[in-house]
Amino acid sequence: MLEQFRQYHLARHQNARVWKEQSGSQVLGTLCCCVPEEIIHAAGILPVRIMGEHEETTEADIHFPTNLCPYCKSCFDQALKERYDYLDGLVIPNVCNMIKAMYGFSKLLLKTPYIRFLEVPQRLSDQGVDYFTKELRRFKESLEDFVGKPILDEALHHSIDVYNESRTLLEKVSELRKKSPPVVSGSEVQEIVLSSMLMPKEEHNRLLAGLLDHIEERDDPPEAGVRLFVSASILDDTDLFALIEECGGMVVADDMPMGSRYFFGQVDSNSEPLRALADRYLNKIACPRKMLPEERLNFATDRMLDADVKGTIIHNMRACDSHLYEYPLLRQQLESQGLPVLFFRGEETETEKEQQRADIEAFIEMLED
Amino acid sequence: MLVCGIDVGAGNVSAVILQDGDVISYCVVTSGEEGATISRKVVDEALRKTPFGFDDVQYLVATGCGRSSVPFAHRQSTEVVCQAKGALYLLPSVKTVINLGTESSRVIRIGENGKVEAFTKNDKCAAGSGLFLETMSTILEIPVELMGNLSLESNGYEEVSSICAVFAESEVISHIHRGVSRDHILVGLHKAVADRILEILGVANVKSDIMATGGVAKNMAIVKELEQRVGLEITVPPEPQIVGALGAALLGQDKVS
Repeated sequence: MLEQFRQYHLARHQNARVWKEQSGSQVLGTLCCCVPEEIIHAAGILPVRIMGEHEETTEADIHFPTNLCPYCKSCFDQALKERYDYLDGLVIPNVCNMIKAMYGFSKLLLKTPYIRFLEVPQRLSDQGVDYFTKELRRFKESLEDFVGKPILDEALHHSIDVYNESRTLLEKVSELRKKSPPVVSGSEVQEIVLSSMLMPKEEHNRLLAGLLDHIEERDDPPEAGVRLFVSASILDDTDLFALIEECGGMVVADDMPMGSRYFFGQVDSNSEPLRALADRYLNKIACPRKMLPEERLNFATDRMLDADVKGTIIHNMRACDSHLYEYPLLRQQLESQGLPVLFFRGEETETEKEQQRADIEAFIEMLED
Repeated sequence: MLVCGIDVGAGNVSAVILQDGDVISYCVVTSGEEGATISRKVVDEALRKTPFGFDDVQYLVATGCGRSSVPFAHRQSTEVVCQAKGALYLLPSVKTVINLGTESSRVIRIGENGKVEAFTKNDKCAAGSGLFLETMSTILEIPVELMGNLSLESNGYEEVSSICAVFAESEVISHIHRGVSRDHILVGLHKAVADRILEILGVANVKSDIMATGGVAKNMAIVKELEQRVGLEITVPPEPQIVGALGAALLGQDKVS
């Protein structure tokens, strides 16, 4: 059953095309975990998270210099190679300078009919939630124009319920990583999380609920490894987790936008839907771009509760300023808790894999010594 | 009890033979052949200086980036752990190991309990590595083993400002064309190499005692520059290239005993 999630992720473009053909509806690409997918879902549209690929960028190199965020560049390269030609639209939030620039590049270079820039406040405050609620209303209205029908409150409430269920299930399966001996591996959980950003949510919930019913009785549990925590800026595949497992480690908890930050915290289903969405997507996603270091680092520490980790791997994508600025503080905090840290400044390509392997092997041997 | 440690590095392969905890022989050769062949050769060469043969070796541990290419090793271990173990054997009070290899430079921090606490490596950059010095040796037509002393005897220096090995190369060539004295260029180069090492050393947190290991540690101009910049003494063992293999042999000894 776990294989289904992996296969869906691997064949994500083909799966989206099939969904589109069968449903007769649209597919919207999103960047960053601060886009409230519930509104897109309520419009009958399939939201899919844009991901890069481990291949050399060629098309994007024509337009952009080398010192840009490798993740953004890879995503754009994929778009220019028409791998995302099924997208009817893109939602690009104001989260970092590079993603902000992606909006301009998309308008200039892509043929995608609907490209929406989503304003996201810089700081957490009541005024910020007020502003974000208004912005989400404008976003909802623009989607209504795009699909040619209103998004009713009932539909929004329903979507919030579906997404809350998804977040509950993802939290459950990610907690299972902490069991000893392990029930599910770090890379398996990561496959489940990544596929949840691509698959229709109802389908994903159904599969995941079915998996959770039987996972503890599986006859092929993963091997135990040195228990590790991973904090990352962007990891859009499971390769690092799989590499860690090959080297004798096991990721049992994480702090990543394409990991637990995606499913942490529920939307209050009893409140006015747009305000409730604004509250969750602004206040509960522990992103260094919005949160001050103390709040952010508390999130990382809380994720480690009961995880009994022996060490931490911090993986920050090269040029991911907001995460790189935070790194010294995070490292200091983790080391002061007696947790050794291994740091990687990452690329999107696979060129660094063997270097990473050498460092992870040394780190794990160091922790075992 | 006879054990052997072998370090298959990017530039050199070294072996250390330990008998009952004492180093009785070692050998360092330049890499170049396929890993299994060269590693066997270096072990045989080290054993040739002893009354023992290959079959007398009870346990063999391989380390270094090519450690997986030693088919006769009983166990593999990473450079970080082996460098730390070797350095601790030579200097029990060591807290910081600066391992300066052919392709990578790393700093290893050792805790009060003698365990590795943390390590850092150079960041995908050739500047600061042994390979960088070898390239400069070719351009300057000065044998790499003479570079350190020539630099220490110099009475001036010419800055090499580029942080990129490729750009530094063209900068050095333009210095040569301008007629700048080669020993002055060497001083500039060594300062630039020290800059790269200092980046990973984290000067504010560096703890004494410090040991430099690896082939680049034989270059006393770099070691002196580092000592000056850090303000602390750096110990260089008599044969800095065998510290990893020594650590591997010590691990083997622990396993057997």
